[in-house]
Amino acid sequence: MIKLSNVFKRYPGGFDALRDVSFEVDSKEMVFITGHSGAGKSTLLKILTLIEHASRGQVLVNNLNVARLPRRRIPHFRREIGVVFQDNKLLHDRTVFDNVALPLVVAGLSRQEIGRRARAALDKVGLLKKEKMYPVTLSGGEQQRVGIARAVVNKPALLLADEPTGNLDADMADQIIDLFYDFNRHGVCVLIATHDLRQIQRLRKRVIGLKDGEITVDSGSHTS
Amino acid sequence: MKNHLLRHLQVLFYSLGELARAPLTAFMTIVVIGITLALPAALYALIGNLQRVGGGWDQGAQISLFLKLGTSRAAAETLAGQIRTMPDVASVRYISPASALKDFKRLSGFGNTLDLLDSNPLPPVLQVLPAGRTVGARAAQKLAQTLGQMPGVTQAQFDLEWVQRLDAILRLAQRGVLILALLLGVAVLLVVGNTIRLAILNRRTEIEVIKLIGGTDAFIRRPFLYTGLFQGLFGGLLAWILVAASLTLLAGPVRDLAGLYGSGFELAGLGLQAGTTLLLGGAALGWAGSRLAVSRHLRAIEPG
Repeated sequence: MIKLSNVFKRYPGGFDALRDVSFEVDSKEMVFITGHSGAGKSTLLKILTLIEHASRGQVLVNNLNVARLPRRRIPHFRREIGVVFQDNKLLHDRTVFDNVALPLVVAGLSRQEIGRRARAALDKVGLLKKEKMYPVTLSGGEQQRVGIARAVVNKPALLLADEPTGNLDADMADQIIDLFYDFNRHGVCVLIATHDLRQIQRLRKRVIGLKDGEITVDSGSHTS
Repeated sequence: MKNHLLRHLQVLFYSLGELARAPLTAFMTIVVIGITLALPAALYALIGNLQRVGGGWDQGAQISLFLKLGTSRAAAETLAGQIRTMPDVASVRYISPASALKDFKRLSGFGNTLDLLDSNPLPPVLQVLPAGRTVGARAAQKLAQTLGQMPGVTQAQFDLEWVQRLDAILRLAQRGVLILALLLGVAVLLVVGNTIRLAILNRRTEIEVIKLIGGTDAFIRRPFLYTGLFQGLFGGLLAWILVAASLTLLAGPVRDLAGLYGSGFELAGLGLQAGTTLLLGGAALGWAGSRLAVSRHLRAIEPG
């Protein structure tokens, strides 16, 4: 699903965000990427979603060499990856339903299909009853769940999350991570960048540790 | 295909809704576009009317027949009677040498000098008015030629010069309006471009999110293009209304003025064709201005 070989990322000004990073993630895996802020977690996710480009090295996502992807293909590439953000990036002038439906609208699905799939995604995260509400009226955990529904509504094979529990208390964080765990059990490859060690210990999944842009720990592929 | 059309319709109504949601901004932009487009449109209508005035005079242009010196009044009247029976002639007026001299004295300012003359050097003149509104300058010229060959006539003069001059002046003015219209068109382009630029910056987060979840540039561009299109279209409509209203206000005084000259001249409006051009031109300018702004600013907004 994901394969990085000797990836470097140097930002203008000479800061090295990633140094010689190589790892491979199987399509059925769930992986935590840990490290202090500034260790390179976000940069890694940005490279996987083509927000940034690697300075050196090869990045394969979905067996696709992202460096060779022309600019106009990027939107279609992104539709096959679900992304959850720490600040959820919901549109606050639209209802919960419209937020979740947005990736489907963008992809040009029919009205009925959009309604069906968006409601299915909302049902999955337990927010079907709140589809007509606006994000501001929801709690932080609920907003994050709307963000997750939006990320999975396209049924992506790969789900990326950048500090999805960063703003949440322990209970809500557990719920969110359990949701990801559930998606993984249904065959979605999940990659979560977090420094929430409690979750890592709770789920006992593969952990890749980053420090100053280098991999320090990789517990390796194993499913429990 | 049906889906595609449906999506366009959705965006179209969404854009209309956007205009309704921010009525003041949209209204201001539309008014600016309307006034900008109204100026060349009004000048265009004005020139069109002047051309009609010139056209009216064109047909009313008279032919002056200079008769042989010493032709008697009776002979002249006989000739006038003959000419009157011709189908291309509306009326004939006899001007005696005496009255011609009187007019000449009055108009030329040579009054006292002319008194020194022993005899009246002026020939009798017949003023012929060509008939029919369809008789153009060329037909009148032909009539003048025929009349000039009649016995007793020394010269037939058809004075078209001033009509041709007016025509030339109007053509010049038309060119001027065209240049003005081009310049103001660029202004409309920039006005729409600026409005759309602000709209893009206002929706920066939304654009970023849509890019992140795989929205194509075309998808993001669409609502802005429709917004620009509508602003231009409504601006054009407003311009049409402004011109029509101004012409209606002017119609009364123009009728009075024309009446003083004994003419039944009436101001004409822009007409359907010019009006439609105004609408379509406004819409096209709005679309193009928005397109410019969008292609300049959308690429700068990247998630990250």
